[in-house]
Formats: sequence, structure tokens, C-alpha cells
Amino acid sequence: MGLVARRFEAKGLSTIILTPTPEFNREIGMPRIAAIEYPYGRVIGDVNDAEGQRSVLRAALSVLETADTPGQVVHLPFTWPEDPKKTKWHPPEISPIVKMYLAEIKKAAAKAHP
Amino acid sequence: MPPSLSAWIGQTIPEQDFEGEIPWTPLKKPLSKTVFALMTSAGINMKTDPDFDMAREKREPAWGDPSYRKIVISATAASINVNHLHINTTYIQQDINVMLPLQRFQELEEDDTIGALAPTAYSYYGYQTDPTVLLEETLPQVIVDMKAEGVEAVFLTPA
Repeated sequence: MGLVARRFEAKGLSTIILTPTPEFNREIGMPRIAAIEYPYGRVIGDVNDAEGQRSVLRAALSVLETADTPGQVVHLPFTWPEDPKKTKWHPPEISPIVKMYLAEIKKAAAKAHP
Repeated sequence: MPPSLSAWIGQTIPEQDFEGEIPWTPLKKPLSKTVFALMTSAGINMKTDPDFDMAREKREPAWGDPSYRKIVISATAASINVNHLHINTTYIQQDINVMLPLQRFQELEEDDTIGALAPTAYSYYGYQTDPTVLLEETLPQVIVDMKAEGVEAVFLTPA
């Protein structure tokens, strides 16, 4: 998403990214980031929580309005109500790439500890 | 953040801040006069359009569908499909606003927080190990589409 935002900005469109993982900014250099500790797949808020979603969006838009330095990260003051360990965000099935690496990891482990 | 994701980020992302140039377009007007488009990488499509290609990714795990879909801003959970092998899509299928805040931005337009929401929103697929096609072919077309609708700012939600 950071690479996409960079292309938009280079073509004259302002951007704001609302993300749970602002760390990628250190690798990619994103124009403006509103960081939030919400799960992937529900980054704006929970299902049917219109009021909560509106609060997050207003806060993210204020980052767009006030950021004056490229690469600026602003952490929004919202807390997801569930424990991160218990919050469901993973897909129901392991993704193909992770599945592929899991097989490699198991193979390597078996080789190291036969 | 889930502990597994946090551990992965700790291993793969550098500790030091980014030092290169970052492209930058300042907002030209107050939010209340600015035209917005919404875009997410959550793999959403209108039911009337083709789904993102999950079958090929299952055969070729390092490949991700580099195309994009237009979403009309009147779309609701009932009018979309969501395909994404890296997140739990259940919640978007119940309320599209948890990732693509179409209804919320229309309310923000009605109460003059923003100038307007452009009639078209966009989705692509947020798993691209090689983003060349996405960046060189897909995105230039999206930018043309956005500018044709007078878009000045883009609200982005990654998945």
C-alpha cells in the first residue's frame, strides 16, 4: 500500500493510509500514515459500529489535514476491545505462501534434528 | 498487534527510519472542499464483476492477482464478493465499511466534513510479491479513472 501511495502522490493526489502496521514505513517511505492498533480486515472498526467507524475516520482525516512532513506517522488513540491474542484476523486456512514455507521449515527442522 | 505478526515485522523490517525521497502532494484545499476516492487492497469486487483470482495463487503461492476492480459507492455487503487468502474476510462481508467506508464517507460529505466522495471506489489485492504489474499497468489506469472524476485525495486501507 505504501508503494501505491507513493505513486498517487507523485501524480498529484494526496493520500492517507490507515494501517495497523506503520512499521513498513521504515522500509518503503510512505507519505502520510494514521496508525491504529486494530486488526487487519477491520481497520476502520467493528461490524455495524457506525459511530466508532466515524470517530476513526475523522481522526485519520485530521492526520491528512495537519501532516506537513513526508513520512509522518501519527498514532491514533483508539484501543481494540479484544486481547490481540484472541482477535480473529487470520484467514480460516493458512495462505498458500505460508503453507509453502511451513513445509520448508519442517523439512529443514527434520534435517537438523533427524 | 497479533504476536505472530509483530515477531515477523521484527525480523523483516529495518530498525532505522527510511532515508530516501518520499513523493508528496500537499492538500490544496480544506477537507471540506476536497474530493475523495476510497481504495482498499482487501480484494473486494462487485458481484457483477469477476472475482480476484485465488485459484492461480493456490497453484503459484508467490503470485498475487495484480488487477483492480471498481466499486460503486452505493455498494453494500450484499452486492460484493471478497477474496483474500491472507486476512479473515468474514467481517467485510457483513459490513463493507470496516475496510471500505462507503457509507461513512457519504455521511462525511453530507455533514460537510469533506467536499465530496467520488462516485467510484477501488479495490486491488494486497498480496504482491512482485508489484511490477500493479504499479506499472494497473495503477496508471486507476489514476486516470480517479482524475476523470475530479479526485484530489485518496483514503487507503491495506489488507
